[in-house]
Amino acid sequence: MQAGNCVGLCHNIPVNGAPFLECRGLRLILGGQPVLGGIDLAVPAGALVALVGASGAGKTSLLRLINRLLAPDAGQILIQGQDIMAQDAVAVRRGIGHAVQGGGLFPHWTVADNIGAVPWLLGWDRQRRQARALELMAMLELPAHLASRFPGELSGGQASRVGLARALAASPRLLLLDEPFGALDPETRDALADRLHALHRAQGLTTLIVTHDLADALLRADLMLVLDQGRIIASGPPTAIAANPHPAVQALLAAPLAQARALAGLTP
Amino acid sequence: MTAAQGLPGALAAHLAISAAALLLAVLVAAPLVLLMPGRPWLQRSVMGIASVVQTVPALALLALFFPLLVLVRNLTGLPVPSLGLLPSLLALALYALLPLLRGGAGGLAAIPESVRDAARAIGMTRWQRLFHVELSLAAPVVFGGLRTAAVWTIGAATLATMVGQESLGDLIFAGLQLQDWRQVLLGCAAAAGLAMIVDAGLGLVESGIARRRRGPALIGLMVLALLAAAVSGWWWHSRPASQAAPVVIGTKTFSEQYILAELIAADLRRSGQPVAVRSGLGSGIAFQSVKAGGIDIGIDYSGTLWTQALGRSDVVPRGEMLAILRRELQARHGVTVAASLGFENAYALAMKRDAAQRLGVKTISDLVRVAPQLRLATDLEFQSRAEWAGLQRAYGLRFAAIRAYTPVLMMAALGDNSADVITAYSSDGALSTTDVVLLVDDRGALPAYDALLVVAPGRDALAKRLARYEGRIPVAVMRAANWQADRPSDKRSPADAARWLATQTGLK
Repeated sequence: MQAGNCVGLCHNIPVNGAPFLECRGLRLILGGQPVLGGIDLAVPAGALVALVGASGAGKTSLLRLINRLLAPDAGQILIQGQDIMAQDAVAVRRGIGHAVQGGGLFPHWTVADNIGAVPWLLGWDRQRRQARALELMAMLELPAHLASRFPGELSGGQASRVGLARALAASPRLLLLDEPFGALDPETRDALADRLHALHRAQGLTTLIVTHDLADALLRADLMLVLDQGRIIASGPPTAIAANPHPAVQALLAAPLAQARALAGLTP
Repeated sequence: MTAAQGLPGALAAHLAISAAALLLAVLVAAPLVLLMPGRPWLQRSVMGIASVVQTVPALALLALFFPLLVLVRNLTGLPVPSLGLLPSLLALALYALLPLLRGGAGGLAAIPESVRDAARAIGMTRWQRLFHVELSLAAPVVFGGLRTAAVWTIGAATLATMVGQESLGDLIFAGLQLQDWRQVLLGCAAAAGLAMIVDAGLGLVESGIARRRRGPALIGLMVLALLAAAVSGWWWHSRPASQAAPVVIGTKTFSEQYILAELIAADLRRSGQPVAVRSGLGSGIAFQSVKAGGIDIGIDYSGTLWTQALGRSDVVPRGEMLAILRRELQARHGVTVAASLGFENAYALAMKRDAAQRLGVKTISDLVRVAPQLRLATDLEFQSRAEWAGLQRAYGLRFAAIRAYTPVLMMAALGDNSADVITAYSSDGALSTTDVVLLVDDRGALPAYDALLVVAPGRDALAKRLARYEGRIPVAVMRAANWQADRPSDKRSPADAARWLATQTGLK
């Protein structure tokens, strides 16, 4: 399979033996409809992987399977060689940073409490949680005075940063981000994507990000997975994806490329 | 017993029954609400049923539990009580269900899907999600529903009086009948005050939960705890010192019953016997209570027991009816007829004296001739009763018009010439003053309604003690006593009227 070969293809990723995350023959059926039809995937440690594809292609479902929010109908998911289905679901989730679609900040918790949610679940004391929340807020350029505010009082960009901080709080090795900057204006989105990229590198994270922003994926990801109707139709570094002749991949790329060319024509 | 004396007990009972019903409703509603998300069929059917229940008037709901529980008892053979606490508890809980379900389902439905999702995704357990996310977020709406349910329940609990459960309704219904507005107001004010304090307490808890502040929530809980402590403390202090179980006298909802109950109560108390009066029972429920032993002494009427307890619809002469009743009530229900008081409270047809003289009407047979030119006013139920069918069968009466009025207005209808003939009750106090004549039932079509004292099974000594009431109260004296309690001005309390009755009859 293409995805399996990806490990060898990713020349800019350090690959030390076994992949960090591996999916084998994953199938998922929801309400009688096949959502994912045989996903094979190997992600090396430290990779920033962008999942792209049309709506309904199965990107979100793949993330949810990896975080055990859904159970596969067939196949295996291994993190560092361990089958996650054999482990306690709650423990698996606490070990993974997952920012769900729409953010899902708890409206009745302060920003600091939202960020400290997983540490609280892990039994950290109040002081340590507060310190961690402030540390992450500084890293994500959130003013400290927002710590005692409620999510309803935040701007879209601030809420997205809090969501990201919550996913990062307990220092997970694996980060799953589902359209984390979906509803933001392009400028904020770009700044936040850069910030995320830097954090990902600095913290040594392995990150899967679902995005509709092809330019972001092509410019910042180490690896891209293109999903179409529940299957991976292309995978590899952005340069390889850009050159992939598959009509569905080219259709996906057509719009951003045309836009880029048009923009290039505008500037003197 | 004056109103203020009955207040602590009624208040405590009211609070207890309301709290118990609310608790039961919460215990039923909570699992249903928690099962609803993702089960639209459950939500639809449960909410549908609850909405239908809500359209039934609370009074009817309470009344319906009586035959329902009797049916359960007959089918299962279990000793299920059909009066008092159990039907009140079930009916009130059922009534409280809709606001609780609405609040709960609405509160949970308003939680954004992404928030539920995030709670799972970050690794909260099922219980952590339930308490820290779902219930905390739904709390304002859930508590809104709880407050509505609490206020409704406290209001509707006044109606529990009708099925024999002590509540603030005892004061209200007795006061309404006696037109003792102070007592009505006292009962209403107590119920309203209770509702307001409970609502305020729950409101504080609600705002505390909504804003994640412990202070207001604790103050709210303290308000509720203080209320419960104060009410039960007051009740405890005002409760009679005697440890012996009191003899319970039950009354229906009119003055004659209250007066006779006070007469007997005063008599028994003089011999050191503690007595409690349970007032304001529904007509059918009074005898059932005596039969079940929930009430020791009931005041009933031969014609009522003839149809309700013996299930008979034929008309037999007065003396024969009494003899059959004494025998059959004892044999079938174990109930003893301790005394026939000596007067009737029967249905009768009445006319103004001058009109009757002018038309030459003394008997119902005389009336037949002129009836097609006259208008009849009846109480609300008369036209559907066997008495009306019997009258028509025996005399072939036809009137120009027939109108139904509430009983208190019938005499007024006669007075202002809105009606020429009315149905009257033969011991009605108004007959003792108003210039009205009762027409003689010359063909014996109307059944007898002798006032009887009935005593619960196994209270033979009590029945023997009441035997001296046999034939002691003439109808004219009873009318006069009733008039003292019913007249529009210079009203006396039932206890005062009872004292007057005692001196007149020598029943001291």
